Amino acid sequence: MKKIISLIKACMTSDMSLFKIKNNNQSKRSRVLLPIFLFIMVFFSIWSYANMIIEPLTKIHLEYVLLSIFVLFTFILTLVEGIYKSSNLLFNCKDDNLLLSLPIKRRTVLFIRVFKFYVFELIYNTMFMAPAMITYIRYVKVTPSYYPVSIIMLLLLPIIPIVLSIIIGMLLSATSTKFKYKNIAQIILTTIILLFVFYISFNLENVVKDLALKATSINDLITRLYYPAGAYVKMITNFDILDLLLFIIINISLFALSIYLLGNTYFKVNSCAKAVKTNHNHHNNYKIKTNKVIPSLIKKEFTKFISSPVFVTNAGFGLVLFVLGCIILPIKFESLTTAIATIEPSVSIETIKSNIPVILFGLICTSSLLSSITSSMISLEYKSFNILKSLPVKPYTIILSKIYTAVIIMLPFILIGDIITFINFKFTFIQIVLIIISSIIIPLVAETLGIIINIKYPKMDAENDTQVVKQSMSSMVAVMLGMLLTFITIYSLAICLNNNMNIDLIILLGLIVYTLIYIILLIYLNNKSIKEFNLINC
Amino acid sequence: MIEIKNVTKKYGDNVALNNVSFKVDDGCVFAFIGHNGAGKTTLIKAITGIHDFDEGDILINGKSIKKDAIECKKEMAFVPDNPELYENMKAIDFINFICDMYEVDYVTRKNNINKYAKMFEMEDHLNETIDSFSHGMKQKIALISALSHNPQILIMDEPFVGLDPKAVFDIKQVMNEMVKEGKTIFFSTHILDVAEKLCSKVAIIKQGRLVKVGTMKEIKGDKSLEKVFLELEQ
Repeated sequence: MKKIISLIKACMTSDMSLFKIKNNNQSKRSRVLLPIFLFIMVFFSIWSYANMIIEPLTKIHLEYVLLSIFVLFTFILTLVEGIYKSSNLLFNCKDDNLLLSLPIKRRTVLFIRVFKFYVFELIYNTMFMAPAMITYIRYVKVTPSYYPVSIIMLLLLPIIPIVLSIIIGMLLSATSTKFKYKNIAQIILTTIILLFVFYISFNLENVVKDLALKATSINDLITRLYYPAGAYVKMITNFDILDLLLFIIINISLFALSIYLLGNTYFKVNSCAKAVKTNHNHHNNYKIKTNKVIPSLIKKEFTKFISSPVFVTNAGFGLVLFVLGCIILPIKFESLTTAIATIEPSVSIETIKSNIPVILFGLICTSSLLSSITSSMISLEYKSFNILKSLPVKPYTIILSKIYTAVIIMLPFILIGDIITFINFKFTFIQIVLIIISSIIIPLVAETLGIIINIKYPKMDAENDTQVVKQSMSSMVAVMLGMLLTFITIYSLAICLNNNMNIDLIILLGLIVYTLIYIILLIYLNNKSIKEFNLINC
Repeated sequence: MIEIKNVTKKYGDNVALNNVSFKVDDGCVFAFIGHNGAGKTTLIKAITGIHDFDEGDILINGKSIKKDAIECKKEMAFVPDNPELYENMKAIDFINFICDMYEVDYVTRKNNINKYAKMFEMEDHLNETIDSFSHGMKQKIALISALSHNPQILIMDEPFVGLDPKAVFDIKQVMNEMVKEGKTIFFSTHILDVAEKLCSKVAIIKQGRLVKVGTMKEIKGDKSLEKVFLELEQ
């Protein structure tokens, strides 16, 4: 046991450096203030959202449904995150050689990896669940048992999605190692599974209908849908120590059993994942090519991008959803407009149709701002950043090449979505031109913002790509700021639409605002970020 | 020529380089020796423009690395101690990438790549991705890419670590060739007998301060370099 505790302590020291900012000139105050500000922002947003949900539920005395919704949402979120994080967090870690050479069981190594995974998911889950749990206390007079039950619930909630995602992660890694281009295979397989999970999540309506026929009560329905959600509701409404014990035993046994069973397979898959297929049949067959500086830098960035499955999945998923959204929008348009008309009878189908260009503008903003690629690009240089800094190339050129690469990656997805929407709905020539310009300017804003954030919060000592892409300060700040900008944009667009402003004028105004933001960001980049770039040490 | 003028570099309260000054002439093989953590890599990173420094200046062929970093970097090539190259790239793509950054024309790069790939016995491996390479092979790729743009000044951080004897011999040959052409070589090392045999000048650094600098003869006199170094460390 002592050994395991020492191991966890040693491994977590490097991993828990979530807020470690490697920049000597960064003031201590901003290091502390930013995470607090972000936490308050997320907490407050979720808390407001929870209040919005619970209010109508109070009228029908079904407040506990709020908690089951949040348990279910957290489960889906952890599972989706876990699927594309697990392969990277479990396999090919930098400390593999050290851990596997120690006189400890292979299962212990897997346990350490999964435990680290658990701790991070626990933090994320708490960020979502705690506001809902607090909101519940505001509306319902809870019994004293509510508090220990909720704490135990928080601690055990990540287990089921983690166990599922490590099984899927192992299967993905084991399958992809059989392919010549295992990274590409892993990206494709992960995307398929994620889309499948999303498909199921969006089609829960049918599952719920089916379960509702068999369920004896709402709580029974929730339990049938997802056991922890039902168990939690049962424990807080009608506490029984046996239910609590059963819940604890089920979760811990599941965790222990999965570690026990997957221990040996883990070692085999890890060995295969490390194996690099080399080709010795290219004697003197190498190609010497010349290229200009920026295209060569873009090529280098692109090679890095496609070689990292977690990077591709993280960046590409929002973009794929954007294209799917553009495909689904005309198909589901009628049912969507009927639903809107039910809530707001004054809105006609024609009005919604004429608002489509503004909706598309909003979708472009959302998908671009929430798919920041550049917010990881500096950190993903790791120690090779020194090579880049020793080259006779201006930092501004290096930074621009990263922004251009990200925009080149995003642009095809956005343009495909645009074209699909142009074909299915009526757009004037001016609207088409404005949307296409927006499809270039908005990703430029998102990616310039991303690189500025990454230069401000670099993490050059990460253990693997997942730490950079999912668990670094830079990626968190980029997502939060992206969410904030998206929220402001959508809110502003809604106000303009409510005031019956001209559609073309709304898009034009949006475009002007984003162009101004882009210019401001470029000025900032040129003046401040370059200096910060030169100060990054690794 | 490299001129280091009163360079001071601090990491918070820790002074990594304390008022370091010396000159490395053209056609000179210059060894930079010191204990682990003495400040060797910090100085090398300052010379190559990877790190900024707090005081002083570094001139590369008369140009300041602070004021004219790009022009200075064009004169130099840098081989890091632990070659963290772009692992996902093919070796040839990495070398091409470095050549692109130095704007090396096709003929020059072709001649140099072929010459050094053959010398370091890496011809068969240039089409492989770098992540499949051993430490020594990565070091060779770093060397080939550094030499492929005909640098005036070659800067290496611990260049002999992890290399096989044949590669060490080849590097020494390359160094001799470069010196004959009037080029400058500056490297840090722990291997004192190699430094003793190869270098015309040497500098010893201790806790960020330069404790000795001069020709090999001036530094060691009748003693061995190892003995002088150990005496200074005590």
